Amino acid sequence: MGQGDAFLIIDGSAQILIDGGPNNEVINCLSRYMPFWDRKLELVILTHPEADHFTGLIDVFKRYHVETLLGNGLKNSTKSYQVLEDLIRAEGSQTLFPKEVNHLRLGLIYLDLLWPTSDYLSTHPDVSKGYNNFSVIFTLKRGDFTALFTGDILPDVSSQIKGLTDVDLIKIPHHGSKNGLTQELLNATTPERAIISVGKNQWGHPHQEVLKMLESAGVKILRTDLEGDIILDLD
Amino acid sequence: MFMTETKTSFPFIRSIRNNFFFWLFIIFLILFRFYQTRPSYHIGDRVRISGVVRSEPIRYDTAQSVKLAGLKAYLPHYPEINYGDFIVIEGAVGEKGKLLKPILINHQSSTNFLYQTRNQIINEYRQTLPEPHSSLIAGVVLGAKSSIPEDFWQALKKTGTAHVVVASGMNVTLVAGFLMNFLVTIINRKKAVIFALLGIWLYTTLSGFDAPLVRAAIMGSIAFSAQGLGKLYSAWRALFLSAALMLIIIPTWLTDLGFILSFVATASLMLFESKVNRLIPFIPNPFREGLATSLAAQIGVAPILYLTFGQLSILSPLINGLLLWTIPLITIIGGMGAIASLIHPILSLPFIYAVYPLTSWFIFVVNLFSSCNLTQPGKLLLPFWLFMPFSSGLSPLIPPHRTMLSSLLVMWVRVTLS
Repeated sequence: MGQGDAFLIIDGSAQILIDGGPNNEVINCLSRYMPFWDRKLELVILTHPEADHFTGLIDVFKRYHVETLLGNGLKNSTKSYQVLEDLIRAEGSQTLFPKEVNHLRLGLIYLDLLWPTSDYLSTHPDVSKGYNNFSVIFTLKRGDFTALFTGDILPDVSSQIKGLTDVDLIKIPHHGSKNGLTQELLNATTPERAIISVGKNQWGHPHQEVLKMLESAGVKILRTDLEGDIILDLD
Repeated sequence: MFMTETKTSFPFIRSIRNNFFFWLFIIFLILFRFYQTRPSYHIGDRVRISGVVRSEPIRYDTAQSVKLAGLKAYLPHYPEINYGDFIVIEGAVGEKGKLLKPILINHQSSTNFLYQTRNQIINEYRQTLPEPHSSLIAGVVLGAKSSIPEDFWQALKKTGTAHVVVASGMNVTLVAGFLMNFLVTIINRKKAVIFALLGIWLYTTLSGFDAPLVRAAIMGSIAFSAQGLGKLYSAWRALFLSAALMLIIIPTWLTDLGFILSFVATASLMLFESKVNRLIPFIPNPFREGLATSLAAQIGVAPILYLTFGQLSILSPLINGLLLWTIPLITIIGGMGAIASLIHPILSLPFIYAVYPLTSWFIFVVNLFSSCNLTQPGKLLLPFWLFMPFSSGLSPLIPPHRTMLSSLLVMWVRVTLS
């Protein structure tokens, strides 16, 4: 889908969509992997309101019934985000914020919400430097499998996240930017696989130092710019 | 306007001969209107244009393209502009009718009942079926092409089937025929004709005033009016009369590819369809009719497509033959679903689900042929003049005077496009 994030988690007839990517390509993804009669997403998580994460959600809300929306509650002043807000309001989805809930369960899937904390939100009211550090960070568990989703979190904040454990899979922060993954985060999570959600871009993502860090830790790298849709089957 | 029959074998030539001064006047009027309505701006001029969007904007990955006053502007995705909305845009006139660095000054969503109904129907399709099924139905039924996924659009273009999901004259014929057949069972023929005419124009307004639809609507109106008034109907006269009317009202259509393709395809069908159909009796129906239609249309359309895009889809007639039989069914069942959705969305489900197998077949065929590279064996770098004897090569199929007409049509297109 290009330079952006979107992940679809399917467990039986329930689906969780994490971010919507930079365009409506996410609709094709949902069409490919969901049965044609299923027009409901049980949970949508918007990690943070930046265009490469929320734009695709506009078409998602136009076409699918979204039962619950989880987001950090921050607003973007762009026209496209206003369109999304109007659609969310019209849809009437239940809205959750990480400062209000710590754990979520959907069928056999468990989510532990790690960031942003209430303290961080109350002490950092200024979003003028961007929304990356306010990304919703969480672990997703199903059976023995654990994945860490990191949004676009930057190094100064990733060191503050409490509750990090060993994971099987990590979503590399910020599309493989050098302002994303740190050795500290890698050591704290010791993943077996790493997904880098990246497309054609002007910033040189993924950066070589991030790739080298992962290679030297023996982590298998999965890149959407090279492999397209990445599918992990846990059964 | 309608005259007595003579013994000339070619109806249009007969029509011109008998009405020479009438057609001369029409041509003069078109030329007058063309020069009178020529835009007064030049390349580089900064302009502010306001108006109602009369053809559906197309949404790309990074922008939406909107046509207004003969200029094409690429605007950001949001606010989303729909057919029927009023907009004001500002920018500099660029080459090839592009508006450079356009800024959207004002945007008012349409409050017109018809436009809102159209959006409601398209939303119902989108909320009921996944992509590209929903866009395919919206395209076939209402000519709504704005949200067709980019990869599927490319597959349609590659297989020469994109014409099916944009406004199609065939839909007008279907709607008119359906209405007429239904209405004559409850009211007398003259009243049925009036309602059928209303239906044609209601459908055209719902679907957008793209050239192929307007052409079909005018031709259909002439045919039904002749029927209602008990007059003799000539398809050729109707075709050229509708072209003339359209060019008098909107002279810029003279250079619109959709307008050109629509007229050439219709002329080709009228000239060759029945003959082609007779030449392929070994192919079973419904594929034979589709293949005959496609082959007949291609005789006129292929040179234009080649001149415009520099490539030809060799297998296009075959692919169209495999697909065209689904179009009337998708239009009628999808249309019934649209009407049902206006009463209550749940009522539309059986109809829209019933279309799903048809769209699945359509998508399967398109994806199959677009994935194997048989449709475009490289760019066919043939000089234009090779197309002149193209029709002559089909001499058993086409009488000499019609070959000449085909060549003249191609020449007209070439001159217009250059």
